[in-house]
Amino acid sequence: MTSTLKGITLKGSAELVAEFFSFGINSILYQRGIYPPETFSRVTHYDMSLQLSTDPKLKNYLTNVVSQLKEWLFECTVQKLVLVITCLETNEVLERWQFDIECDKSAKENSTPREKSIKTIQDEIRSVIRQITATVTFLPLLETPCAFDLLVYTDKDLAVPEKWEESGPQIIDQSEEVRLRSFTTSIHKVNSMVAYKRTDSV
Amino acid sequence: MDLEDDTTVLTTLKSFNSFISHNEPPQRLSEHSVGSGNLQSQYKRSMELLEAAERLHSKNRYLQLDQEKKQMELSHKRARFELEKAASDSARDLEHEFGRNQDLIGQIKKLEERETGAAKNLTEQTEANRALRKNLESLNKKLEERDMRLNTSNQVHTNTHISLRDEIRELKQKIQNQDSTISTQTLENQELQEQLDLQRRKYQEVSQLCQSLQAAQSSCSEHIIKIKELERRLALQEQDIAIVKTVKAEVAKVPDLEKELKRLREDNAFLRESRENCSLLKEEVEGLRRKLERMAKTKEELVNMELEKEKLKAWENLGQSTGLNIRKPEDLSREVIQIQQREFALKEQNYTLNKLTQQRGKTLEEQKKRETQDALVRRLQKRVLLLTKERDGMRAILESYDSELAPTEYSPQLSKRLREAEDVLQKTQNHNAEMEVIMLLHQAHFLLFLSQVELELESLKKQQASAADSSSLVTKEEVNILRQKIEDLETERQRLEEQNNILEMRLERHNLQGDYDPVKTRVLHLKMNPTTVAKQQRQQEVEALREEVTHLRELLRSVQDGTALAHSQDDSSMHTSGLGLSLPPSKEVLDLRKQMESSELRNQRLKEVFQRKIQEFRTVCYVLTGYQIDITTENQYRLTSVYSEHMDDSLLFKKGASGSMQLMETEFSKTLGEMVALHLHHQKSIPAFLSAVTLDLFSRQTTV
Repeated sequence: MTSTLKGITLKGSAELVAEFFSFGINSILYQRGIYPPETFSRVTHYDMSLQLSTDPKLKNYLTNVVSQLKEWLFECTVQKLVLVITCLETNEVLERWQFDIECDKSAKENSTPREKSIKTIQDEIRSVIRQITATVTFLPLLETPCAFDLLVYTDKDLAVPEKWEESGPQIIDQSEEVRLRSFTTSIHKVNSMVAYKRTDSV
Repeated sequence: MDLEDDTTVLTTLKSFNSFISHNEPPQRLSEHSVGSGNLQSQYKRSMELLEAAERLHSKNRYLQLDQEKKQMELSHKRARFELEKAASDSARDLEHEFGRNQDLIGQIKKLEERETGAAKNLTEQTEANRALRKNLESLNKKLEERDMRLNTSNQVHTNTHISLRDEIRELKQKIQNQDSTISTQTLENQELQEQLDLQRRKYQEVSQLCQSLQAAQSSCSEHIIKIKELERRLALQEQDIAIVKTVKAEVAKVPDLEKELKRLREDNAFLRESRENCSLLKEEVEGLRRKLERMAKTKEELVNMELEKEKLKAWENLGQSTGLNIRKPEDLSREVIQIQQREFALKEQNYTLNKLTQQRGKTLEEQKKRETQDALVRRLQKRVLLLTKERDGMRAILESYDSELAPTEYSPQLSKRLREAEDVLQKTQNHNAEMEVIMLLHQAHFLLFLSQVELELESLKKQQASAADSSSLVTKEEVNILRQKIEDLETERQRLEEQNNILEMRLERHNLQGDYDPVKTRVLHLKMNPTTVAKQQRQQEVEALREEVTHLRELLRSVQDGTALAHSQDDSSMHTSGLGLSLPPSKEVLDLRKQMESSELRNQRLKEVFQRKIQEFRTVCYVLTGYQIDITTENQYRLTSVYSEHMDDSLLFKKGASGSMQLMETEFSKTLGEMVALHLHHQKSIPAFLSAVTLDLFSRQTTV
């Protein structure tokens, strides 16, 4: 645990946020049924039971993205992380989970750690993940086979790493947006929101 | 009972005897002792006993006799019964035998009668037998005669049979010979065809070789032409390279031109900003001016107040201090007012003079700026002239080159760059023109401003000369104008605030949807992400399915074609088509098809052979017999003679049920009535009739 009793450093905050993203993405994939539920196993984190995928390809992909994301969080060059769910048959974007990241650039590498207890951060993260789980009640059903993609909004002057390429924002045509809770580690602030394709009610 | 009686009798007898013997001794004993009385009683007793015994004895005998009698009677009865039975039985037997006797007698009689009848029959039959034997003997003789005759005829027939067999054998041999000749000819035919095929293939190969040679020759000639063209192009390109090197140096100057253009643009932008800044500064200046006015006013008031204070303080000492004839405060006040007015006027003068000096200072500054901008404009014009001259020079050079070389790669690029430079120059010229216009406007504004300021100065001077009320009116007018301006600016501010709120809402909405500013942010994702992987897999699945579908369709088509072939070849074997639909044509099917084809060929050949044979036979019959025999319907035969006068003259014969041929009535046969009567009715010979007809027709022909 990098976040010790002394407070939150930039590195520790980056690790906390990256950890939240890995668990959050896993729970979204489980809730929306992108991967079959039998490929998930239950783990305990943030004082609650969460679902973590056991598919090796998926795990490999997520670790690649999250490790790169951690670097970018440490450099404070990342602005958003978006999880896009597309329908395979029609190639349409059906859902968009967007996490805005506001970084306090005054907190450099060697500045003094900030005073915020781990417990409060974990409570905030827990409430965000609970809210994500609760959104299943109003989100429309995903009936067709779907695949997901992770997009990262970074600063323009950033060097693109080897395995990454530029992509479009994959915005949903005619969407409904819902803003969810946010949490902050006093260095990074993460706002969550979900946009879904408006289904014409019959 | 008898025995019991006997035993009782015997026992009684024995007891009696024993008593008697017992009594005797006691009698003897007591003969002496007892008197005669005992003896008498004993004797009586004994005599009674004897009598009793005798009675018993007789009763016994009587009983015995009764019993015997009964037994005798019984036995008599039994015997009688039995005898009666036997008698009845014997009587019945007698009757039975009597009846039997009678029957037997009747039977004997019948048999005797039968015997006599049979004897009669026997005699009759023997007589018939004798007659039959005689008949048989006669018939046998006849049969023997017939046998003799048949044997003789059989021998004749066998002879003919043998002869016919020989003929058949000869014919068969002939047929076999002909078959062998046919087969040899077919083999020769096949060999010749094979040779033909070989020759044709050789011919095709030779023709293909010829074509390939021709193609090679043409390609060679084309290559030679291409080589010549390429050599020409090389020479041209070497010339171009030399030209390009000379042009490159001149083109290197173009980036400098671009840099100067950039600098000019930046200067223009700077000038625009400075203009804006000027306006901003003006506004600030106005605001400060107002502030200064207010401050000055307040200061004046303060000063006035202090003065009044002093004056009030000195008012008490006035009577002592002042030398003026002041008795009433009104006088003081009047004097004070006068002094104040003087002071006020002096201050206003001072203020206006300050304003004038400031405006003069500003005008001087703006004049300086204008001078600098004029200098810049002059410099820009000089540069423009230089650029136009350079551009003309470049144009001349390029035109010279263009005239020399037509299709080269570098000149279009240069021309394009020149055109671009020209466009840029034009734009800069336009910009400069605009700037000059703006400068002129500024100058005009400035002149107007100066004129305004001078007017204000004059007005102020007039105001100084005139009363203070007019100045206050002007200031009041200014205040009203300024207030209106403030109100307008406030309404505009509110409107702008509302617009700002709406735009912030929209920005928020777009941010939620995921919009981003392409200038500042970039969207990245991993190349190997699950969506692309899933899309690729889907694509592969779709392609594999399409390939499978095409493959299956081809299979279906081939199978249907195979079954269609089978249908056309052999219509009788319909069941094989069902098998063929489900499977691709297997080897067995192919073999069967080949066999079918070969058998059909054979059938065709046999048909041809039979046809030919029949034709030959019919022609031979026609030639030899003189009649062409045609089968019109099932059992009808039409004969036309060689020597018939008309085509329709024919004889119709019908085959009857019994196998005999009958002549049918035709027109021709009507004419031959005599011959019909003679040969058919009398002689009953059709060949004779036919030959007679031919002879008759022949005789008619020869005579005619």
